[in-house]
This record gives sequence, C-alpha cells and structure tokens, in this order.
Amino acid sequence: MPKFTTFADVQQAIEQGELTTVNIVDYYLEQIAASQDLNIYVEVWADEARAMAKQQDERRRNGEQLGRLAGMVISIKDVICYENHQVTAGSKILEGFSSLFSATATERLLAEDVIIIGRTNCDEFAMGSTNETSIYGPTRNAADPTRIPGGSSGAAAVAVQADTCLAALGSDTGGSVRQPAAFCGVIGFKPTYGRISRHGLLAYGSSFDQIGTLTHSIEDTALLLEIMAGADDFDSTASTTDVPAYSKVLGESKPARIAYIRPALEHPGLDGEVRANAEEFLNKLRTQGHTIEAVEFDLLDYIIPAYYVLTTAEASSNLSRYDGIRYGHRSTEAENLQETYQKSRTEGFGQEVKRRIMLGTFVLSAGYYDAYYARAQKVRRLLLDRLNEIFATYDFICLPTTPTPAWPLGESLEDPVAMYLSDIYTVAANMAGLPAISLPSGTHESTQLPLGMQLMAPAWGEASLLAFAKNI
Amino acid sequence: MTYETVIGLEIHVQLSTQSKAFCSDSIQFGSAPNTQVSAISLGHPGTLPRLNKQQLDYAIRLALALGSKINLRNTFDRKNYFYADLPKGYQITQDAQPVCVGGEIEVIVEGKPKKIRIHHIHMEEDAGKSMHDSDDPYSYIDLNRAGTPLLEIVTEPDLRSAAEVDALMTTMRQLVRYLNISDGNMQEGSMRCDCNVSIRPLGADYYGNRCEVKNLNSMRYARKAIQYEVQRQIKIVEAGGTVAQQTLNFDPSTGVTTPLRSKEDAHDYRYFPEPDLPPVVLTEAQVAAIKKEMPDLPKEVRQQLVTEYQLSEYNADLLTVEPEPARFFLALAKATTSYDAAANLMINKILPWSKEEGKPLTALPLSYAQLAEFIALIEEGKVSNSIAYQELFSAMLNAPEQSAANLAQVNNWLQSDDEDEMSNWVETAITDFPDKVKAYQSGKKGLIGFFMGEVMKVSKGKADPKKVNQLLRERLG
Repeated sequence: MPKFTTFADVQQAIEQGELTTVNIVDYYLEQIAASQDLNIYVEVWADEARAMAKQQDERRRNGEQLGRLAGMVISIKDVICYENHQVTAGSKILEGFSSLFSATATERLLAEDVIIIGRTNCDEFAMGSTNETSIYGPTRNAADPTRIPGGSSGAAAVAVQADTCLAALGSDTGGSVRQPAAFCGVIGFKPTYGRISRHGLLAYGSSFDQIGTLTHSIEDTALLLEIMAGADDFDSTASTTDVPAYSKVLGESKPARIAYIRPALEHPGLDGEVRANAEEFLNKLRTQGHTIEAVEFDLLDYIIPAYYVLTTAEASSNLSRYDGIRYGHRSTEAENLQETYQKSRTEGFGQEVKRRIMLGTFVLSAGYYDAYYARAQKVRRLLLDRLNEIFATYDFICLPTTPTPAWPLGESLEDPVAMYLSDIYTVAANMAGLPAISLPSGTHESTQLPLGMQLMAPAWGEASLLAFAKNI
Repeated sequence: MTYETVIGLEIHVQLSTQSKAFCSDSIQFGSAPNTQVSAISLGHPGTLPRLNKQQLDYAIRLALALGSKINLRNTFDRKNYFYADLPKGYQITQDAQPVCVGGEIEVIVEGKPKKIRIHHIHMEEDAGKSMHDSDDPYSYIDLNRAGTPLLEIVTEPDLRSAAEVDALMTTMRQLVRYLNISDGNMQEGSMRCDCNVSIRPLGADYYGNRCEVKNLNSMRYARKAIQYEVQRQIKIVEAGGTVAQQTLNFDPSTGVTTPLRSKEDAHDYRYFPEPDLPPVVLTEAQVAAIKKEMPDLPKEVRQQLVTEYQLSEYNADLLTVEPEPARFFLALAKATTSYDAAANLMINKILPWSKEEGKPLTALPLSYAQLAEFIALIEEGKVSNSIAYQELFSAMLNAPEQSAANLAQVNNWLQSDDEDEMSNWVETAITDFPDKVKAYQSGKKGLIGFFMGEVMKVSKGKADPKKVNQLLRERLG
C-alpha cells in the first residue's frame, strides 16, 4: 500500500507536524532506491528535491504562504521539458541534451511549489506500448517484474504504482497514459486535446499528444489538471476555454447515461477475463443507479490503421529536427552533410522510431498521400462524428482500457503490429481529442495483474467526468 | 525560326515585421550571426510556432493592392526537407490554401502598360543562411534569418523578356515599399526571385518545358541569367533536342546556369497540414479595417500629383518612384500652393541632399513651413531663383533655426526694388556696351537677353528681372 493516496493526506501530515517536507522527499528517495531493479527513473534529482523540501519547510516555519502544491512530490516523463535539466525522450539522439526552458505544465506546477523528484523512463519518443523501446532499457511492472508496465508512459505508471512519488506526469498520444495506468493499477487521465499546453512536450503526433497524469486519487488528478490547464502564448492549439476549479466540483454526480460499445466487448482480441471484469464494472454502475446501454459502432477496426497513418506522418516530420546539426547526437563518422544526417540518425534512433519515421514518410509521399493520409483523415472525421452522435444521447462511453492484462517482457518486440492492435480501446479518445480516464477495476484472476476500465467524455467534459469517476 | 520567351516568377518578399513569423525573435538585418535565435528559432525539442498576425495583415494589404481574392480562412502546411539551415527539418508554408488567389499588376515596359496576372500569394517562413566558401571544408550557418516572414508571389507565365521581368520587379518593389510591408531591398535579400523560363516558337499556343533558375538576388543577375537561359534553350531546340525540365543555379561569376536537380530528382516535400497551427479565420470586418488603413498606392499618388497638383507627368514620375518623396511632396503641398515650385525644389535640392547625405527625407532639418517660405520668397520676387537655389538653400541647411527671409536679408540676397539702384545697374550695363546698344537699336532686339545678363551680373543677382526688363526696354527705346 502506498504511504499516501491523496495529496490531502500529505498536507495533513505536514500541517499536524507528523512529517516535514524533507521527511516526505526522503521517503520517496528511499522508495526509489528500493525499486532500482524496476528501472523507473533515468535521472533522480535527489539533492535538488531535498533542497526544495528544506526550503519549503523553512518558509512554512517562517509563516510564509506556500503554493497550492507545496509538499507534493511528482516525477515527469522524459519527454517533458524542465529548464536546465536533461530531456532525452529515451533516445540516444538526444543524449546529454538539456532544455533551455520549462514546459508550460512544468512551470505552472513549479509555481505552486511542486517538487520534481526525477524524470521517468519511457518508450523512445513515446513510440511504444511497453516501455521497451527506450535506450535506457525496459521498465518492469511492479506487480510482476517479468511483465511490461505498458507504455509509453510505463515508468510514470510504475513510479506511482511503486510509491516513488505521489503523482506522475506522462503524455498520451494513443493511450500512453491510460494503458500503463491500467496495467499498473493506478489512475491514468488524458484531458481534451488543447486543455493543457504542449509547449515543452517533445512532439510525437502533434494533433494527438496531450500531457496526462498518473495518480492514486481522482482528487489529485483534478488538482493537477486545474493548475496545468489553460491558454498559453507558446501553444496556439492550447484552448482558451475556461478552466473550472476541477478539484472543487468532485462532490456529487447525478445518475448518468452510459454507453458501452457492443463490438468492443465482442471483439475477438478481448481476453475473456477482461471482458468479465468489464461486465462486472458495468453492472456495478447499473446498481449505482446509472443507465447502461449498448451502442453499435462499425468503425472499430479502422481506428488503429488510421491512427498509425496519421501519427507516423506527423512523427516523420516532427522528428526531422533531430539531425545532428544543432544539438543531440552527431555521428563522428560523417564526412559531409548527407552523411551527418544519415549516420547521426541511423545511430541515434532505435528500431521502432525508425519504423515509424519510414511509415510516416511513406504515407505522405507523392502519389500515396490520398490513399493513406487523406483517407485516414476521413476516418478521423467519421469517428469524431460518430462519437459526438453517441454523446448527444449519453454522458459517457465506457470501455475496457486494454484488451488484455500486461504481457511478458520481450513479447511484442517480435510482433509490432500485435502491439499496435493492443491500443484499440484507447486511440479513439486521441483521434477525437476527447478526455478519457482509466480507473483500476480489479484483478485479472489467472495472472493476478491489475486491470483498468476507461471512461470517455465529450470535449471539455473533464469536470463531470472526474466527478463521476470520483463517485463510483 | 523566331522564338518567344515565356517567363513566370516566384518573388519572395521578406516582410518588415518587428519579429519572426512564428516567434518573437527580432528580424533586424545585419546583426551578428546567430544572435536573433531563441529555442523556437533553433527548433529545440518541445517548441511550437505561434503566428505573427502582422504577417497576415501585410499579406492582406498586398492582396488588396493587387485585387486578389482573399482567403478568410488561412491554414498552414509543412514542407519537409533536410538542410543544415532549416532548423525544424520543415518549413511552415501555405500549400493547400494560399492567403491570396489571383490579381494582377500593371507594369510599364518601353513606355507601354502591360498587365501581369498573379497566380497566388502565400505566407511562409524563411530558412537560415549557409556560407559555404569561407572556410573550406566547413560550412557556416547563420540562423538569424530562420523564421523571417515571407510572402511568395507566384505570377502566371505572362512575362516575355528580361526587360519585363525587370519592370515587374521594380514595380513590385515600389508597391511593397508604398504598402510599408517590406523594404524591398534586393542587396540585403529582402526581395529575391526564382525565374521559370521556357521558349516556344513565336505564336505557338503551347508552353515549352520550363527551367527554374533559383535565387536571383539582383536585377542584373536576373537579366543575365534569363538571357543565358533563353539562348541555351534555343540552341537545344534548334539542334532538335528537348529542354529537360530542371532546377538551375545561376553563377554570377561565369554568367552560366548549371543544373541543381532534374525533375526526377525533384524533392518530394511531403506537404501536409501543420498540426501546430489552427486555422486563422479573418472576418470581412477585419479586412475592411485593413483596407481603411491602406496607404495610397503609387499609381494613385502619381495620378493625384498630375490632376490635383498639376505637375508634369515627368515630375510626377520622379516624385513617385519611392514612397518617401511622394509623401514628402504631399505634406509640403499642404504648406504651399506653388506646387510646381515645390516639385522643383524637391527634385533639384531636397532629393539630392538626401542622396548625398545618405539620410531619409524625414531627417531634413527644415520644416515644411520653412520650405514654403523659401518658395514664397522666389514666387513673390523677393529673392531671385538663381540666388535662392545657389545660395539661400544651403544657408538654410546650415542655419535651420533662422527664417529664410532673415537669411536672405542678412546675406544681402533680397532682390532690390529700389528704383534708383535699379536705374544705376541698367545705366552701367548700357554704358559699358555702346556697340550692343547700337545693334539693339538697329533691330537686334534679341540682345535684350544680353543686357539682362549684364544687369544681373552687376547686381549680383539681386535685381528683379521683371523690373530690369521693363527699365531696359524703356532705356534702349
């Protein structure tokens, strides 16, 4: 069991003098040391975290007003910028690279006195569903270290699962926060596209990427969202839509109308026990007085191909900047400009990243654009229309987060397409830009691994989604 | 066989905005290399573009001036290619929906007007600069220019000669300067053009294969490149060959174009919608507001000088080549009603002063009122034209705090209206040349001019020519 499951407990412990902020940071540092074999962190900022804690304790003693997150210890995924700290996206191509600025999300949390304890491992450039494509090696699932934690924010999920921090920031392009949350038994939340600024988030698929959170409690999810969300001069896609006080509106939730997607529960790829778990979850909601109804959905099998066409297209362009010229890895073998590109990128990128760059380059090529990119955009449009149609009648859509529990390490390196298909339930929220949350829903009996159920809401429906999730 | 040259241009105009197209870095020309580069200009991980709205306003100004159709919903695309001076590995541009479509511009070629149609104008960002030859085998990269806002103006293939290209570039430069959207300075690279050149038999209704000559940054090079390219293509066709569609580089030192890449090797830029920039939607009201604030266009100003201020076509042309003299004249014309005199003063004194001093007209130390006073002194016959131009104007520049009348007074340049003094000067001139007097009196009336000159000499220019003329006629009979 984690020492703290909500930030309110942390605040209470500090205020009642049971613990100092330094004690709390030290606790998490000990947890990090005890979980070395899980390979969660690529860098721990121990001295810095302790210094921040010490300073907070002093300021508190002096009666100073502290920020709303004073005493909260978090980790950030290795794709989120923190000024003068390394950020490498789990890639050799960014070895030794330090960011000149902080991500807007990081900056807003720091302004409220959050303590960042380190950066977590992840799939290279967030491309992967297992956390195995990182240059730093795989992260292991704390529930079963022979298994993957999911990905790409796998280590972020394990960081919370193994109680090495209270909350973690991840990024979610196709389920990268929700899927590992389900595999690790924590809460994973991805807001509406544009809710949190992407400034300082290393881009994978720009029109899909969102920063998300991994926590033990909905209260902490809401509080972090409330502080990070909102318009930003450095990101034109960050919305100017008002930011409600999410953490203040968790109190009550009215009976809701919930749709579940029939073909999703009947999908051949869905594990039987996961299906049973999903049905149990839906029944529980029914007994709580919510309306649960099946809806038809004929786009399920098109979502994954369309998603991989669009995200790899964007990625092929987003990753062009890693060319060995201005920063990051530059091959020492190159004799001219062309070789500098080829050798630096050949040496710097891993296999999965190369595969996606090539796929994306291909689908954008002259003569193929209409057949792939343009058609995938149409699927995206159809999907959004269909989901909005469902939301005209229902408050939420409920789905399993993943079709199976976490699988053994090494398995999907053999068969990437099988791995891609495992994103089937999570990518819809990214394709349509909708908020979605994965909640722990019990244990997979035969493997004793955690499972998660996912709730998706209409755009900007975070407040009611979080309130509903809180009151299940 | 006689061939016709067919040319279409892609003109790149660097906009004179305060900051770059998608971030707040300055775009001032001539700064030390790589000093105007933030993490965004450098394409650091995690950075995103944000549209400089001024760029869009400038594009709308040009669209209004050229009569183009304006796209109210502006989207951006990425043009992907690798180059060392392109930090992101792609250029943000407009491929699918350019901001302006259509329109035309009138140029004067050998005295005759000709309309050149515009295909479209799109917004994009410039790349940085590469310097290859200074320290072989290294290349130097300056990213100050990376992200500078550009408008690319693509014309229809309506041009038929290097002279027409020259006329178009000159007219376009004049236009962007009037619109205050660019300094149009080709030496500093603010205006560059790529020329698409082809030839066809005179009168043919098809186009030949075209070659694109890249990055011509002076009119002289453009002329030479086109002349060379036309001859090269004619030679190929005459020899029974076909011109290969390719991209060419012009080497100014040899005057020769050489292939950069062929059609087969053409870049595949993999254009796709820029996901980091949502569409920018303008309203008709915003366009109307830009229209309301539009500066006058060169053609309109020239027309105004001719009709409202009755200047000669020649003077009107001289004063409207650049926007500053035209604006200066219009301001000066509010202070005086002697428009012709004002034009002459500008052409003969003020413009040469600006050129010699290398200063803008706005730096002239004299106010419009002082200049009007100068003009009035001549018009009212108080100072002779020659003294005013030869002496008084320089004196005013040296002592701008003094009035023109005062300077003329102090320096004894006021024309005399003292009858006695005037009679004395006339008398001296006549007494000195008895032969000429006789000749005049025997019918050589043209000698009046000679006597006028003499009187002026004697009076050091102070004599009022009208009165002198009258006195001389009376005296010579």
